[in-house]
Amino acid sequence: MIEAGQIALPIALLTAVYAAAASFAAAWRRIPELSVSGRYAFYAVPPLLVVSSIALVYAFATSDFSIRYVAENSNLAMPRAYTWVAFYAGNAGSLLFLAGVFAVIATVAVLSIRRKLPYTAPYATGIMALVLAFFLAIIVFFANPLERLPLTPPDGQGINPLLVHFGMFIHPPMQMTGLIVVAIPFSIAMGALLARRGGRDEWVDLGRTWAMISWLILTSGLLLGSWWAYTILGWGGYWAWDPVENSALLPWLALTAFVHSIMVQKRRGMFRTWNMVLIIVAFTLAQMGMFINRGGPVPSVHSFAQSTMGWLFLAFMAGTLILSLAAFVWRMDSLRSREGLDSLLSRESAFLAQNVLFLVVAFVTLWGTIFPVFSEAAQDVTLTVGAPFFNRINGPLLLAIVFLMGVGPLLPWRRATPRNLLRTLRYPLIAAAVAGVLLFAVGVRQIPALVALATCALVVTGIAHEWARGVRARHGRGENYALAFGRLLSGNRPRYGGYVVHLAIIMLAVGATASSFYSAQRDVAMSPGDTAALGEYSFTYLGVTTVEFPDRTEQTAEFDVYEGDEYLGRMYPFRAVYPEFRIASTRGAIRSTPVEDFYLVPSEFNDDGSAIFRVLINPMVWWMWASGPVLAAGVLLAISPRRQPSPSTLRLPANVRAAGA
Amino acid sequence: MQSSGGAGAAWRGRARVAAALAALCLALFGLACDSAAEVPTLEQREQRLNRAIMCPVCPGESIDQSRNPLSAQMRGVVRDRLEQGWSEEQITAYFVDSYGPSVIMEPPASGFSLLAWVGPPVALALALAALVVALRAMRRRTPEPEARLTDEESEEYFARVEDALRRN
Repeated sequence: MIEAGQIALPIALLTAVYAAAASFAAAWRRIPELSVSGRYAFYAVPPLLVVSSIALVYAFATSDFSIRYVAENSNLAMPRAYTWVAFYAGNAGSLLFLAGVFAVIATVAVLSIRRKLPYTAPYATGIMALVLAFFLAIIVFFANPLERLPLTPPDGQGINPLLVHFGMFIHPPMQMTGLIVVAIPFSIAMGALLARRGGRDEWVDLGRTWAMISWLILTSGLLLGSWWAYTILGWGGYWAWDPVENSALLPWLALTAFVHSIMVQKRRGMFRTWNMVLIIVAFTLAQMGMFINRGGPVPSVHSFAQSTMGWLFLAFMAGTLILSLAAFVWRMDSLRSREGLDSLLSRESAFLAQNVLFLVVAFVTLWGTIFPVFSEAAQDVTLTVGAPFFNRINGPLLLAIVFLMGVGPLLPWRRATPRNLLRTLRYPLIAAAVAGVLLFAVGVRQIPALVALATCALVVTGIAHEWARGVRARHGRGENYALAFGRLLSGNRPRYGGYVVHLAIIMLAVGATASSFYSAQRDVAMSPGDTAALGEYSFTYLGVTTVEFPDRTEQTAEFDVYEGDEYLGRMYPFRAVYPEFRIASTRGAIRSTPVEDFYLVPSEFNDDGSAIFRVLINPMVWWMWASGPVLAAGVLLAISPRRQPSPSTLRLPANVRAAGA
Repeated sequence: MQSSGGAGAAWRGRARVAAALAALCLALFGLACDSAAEVPTLEQREQRLNRAIMCPVCPGESIDQSRNPLSAQMRGVVRDRLEQGWSEEQITAYFVDSYGPSVIMEPPASGFSLLAWVGPPVALALALAALVVALRAMRRRTPEPEARLTDEESEEYFARVEDALRRN
């Protein structure tokens, strides 16, 4: 079993290298047979990696500590379910995970590209095969998860206890997948560029679909990571502008810019060069994310998969960046657009302004993340650039983006006049003003929060007005409201899916604003029997139960919680101490409602059961987690295909064979 | 619902729904944003400081966030000093003396570190200038004179087309 997995890895590497070589040669020399061969080689990689993955899972399941990676990342005391987590908890395993997931998803992508983009497909396949080959080469030569130890230890070292949490099943795989899947839209765009098809916009639909899929995966990874931090790291926050968080946010920002500006190319045939630049930037930043996560120059709480091979990732990143820029310059003439801008006031320019703002946020985030490195080099002074810096600078920029999110979609393509802009904006502007005044009246007195929430009202009203108008028009023709709404949404899916995503972003923005400006927090020392209060809530500490396990001590506190006079029930803040790792993992007890979260988390317990508890009231955090499903629904709506007229009329004559057909 | 009176009633109904929704949202905010005032001001100052001071042994985390014993001890120092009447500046200066400038979560706005603060606004200014230049360069010399439909009009138009198609 293990041997099969070990052998499969170098074979997968050779196959991927062949797939790349054959695809590029086929594209270059226009040999369709060779491109078929390259493609089939590509299809062979996922099964091989599945074999290796099964071997690793098997090694974990049977606690085969002769495998170095298994010995380093699991032990006998570990719950069996976490062997799956252990799979990607260390460097070598996470690389195998990345390669495997990428191979599978890229195979689906190759299948979808092959028919629709026959000229682009060989290049795109070649690029994806190269990316895959890079990961496989690292696995085979530097970090083989199936490598044997010379001596078999009796027990393994176990897994980092912070990783023993339900969120660990989904956040890291999602995040890693999100970062690597950016390679797919990148390959499609680059393939089209190399095939000189960049000037025809045929690649745009598929490129956009795959960019949206990567965007969804990345966004889910970020949201799940925040949710995990909120529930397990036990400080009551969800985003700390930690270097690794930042490095995952960077490609997200660039990709968000891309999925918007690609619409301009789809609809108007403009921004062709710009879109190429954006996708190159997005992929480069995604690679930087992987680099910073594995041996990057900045210390972080995420240093789980730390390794000494950061330089390999850096070299790969530099290599792809140089090659793609070279290809870009070389084939730039094929990207000319005949379309011009009709007016500075148009949806096109709003999109471009949004892009610019996203890139500035990305720059600020990158700047702050690596500034300590500059400072160290230039003046030999260690500095911290932390959350306050980012909040202060990115906060207003993000607010400007939210504002554009309200105005941009209401602008018509090509040309708007100030007069018709004002007309479409009248309801949103009124709503924003009214919301601002009323919020002030109900006690929201912090100016930034007030402006942010009023801006959210503007966006929501804009969307609601748009929907109401569409539904009304359809209803006037005899459709009932539900049907009219359904038909409206499915009539222009990219647009209405986009609106749904915007609503989800507003939920996120509202939750983030309310909880950053209006959270209440206290650290209270309590002994069993004590009662304390925060806001409307009062809570009685009943006592703590201690359970010893071979590898850990678990302590669960019990609280009776009241809101006013109403008994809310019992809450169980939890803490586990792992002496071997000298790590304590806490789990907050959270009572979450759309209004606010009541959050209780313990610190160290004394022998008499007394402890300091952190108590928080976090307003509207619920909305942030609720935005996830809405967002996913919006993305799926935006990329769901419409039934299209049969393309049979577009068949090539029988004597012409397309490359890759 | 076809008569104008019916449509008017439907509109009023919808306006009521909208107003009710808006009132609900506001009530939500009113409820959500009222608890912060319950925390004593000394504790608020303490939390502000805790969030601005970094835990020296757990990179990237403030002492407010970190669950490390050293952070707990430093939080204790912050509290004691505040109770003794120290100002926030004095306390920050005290920590900088003991642990170096990296103990503050923000780079100081002086000397080389000023660059950290100057970089972003300069980047924003350059980016906006580039945006304007690019938009101007893309602009057509001779704008097409044709009249374009607004979204509202085109929606109406496409709805009519769809309607006509369905009837056939």
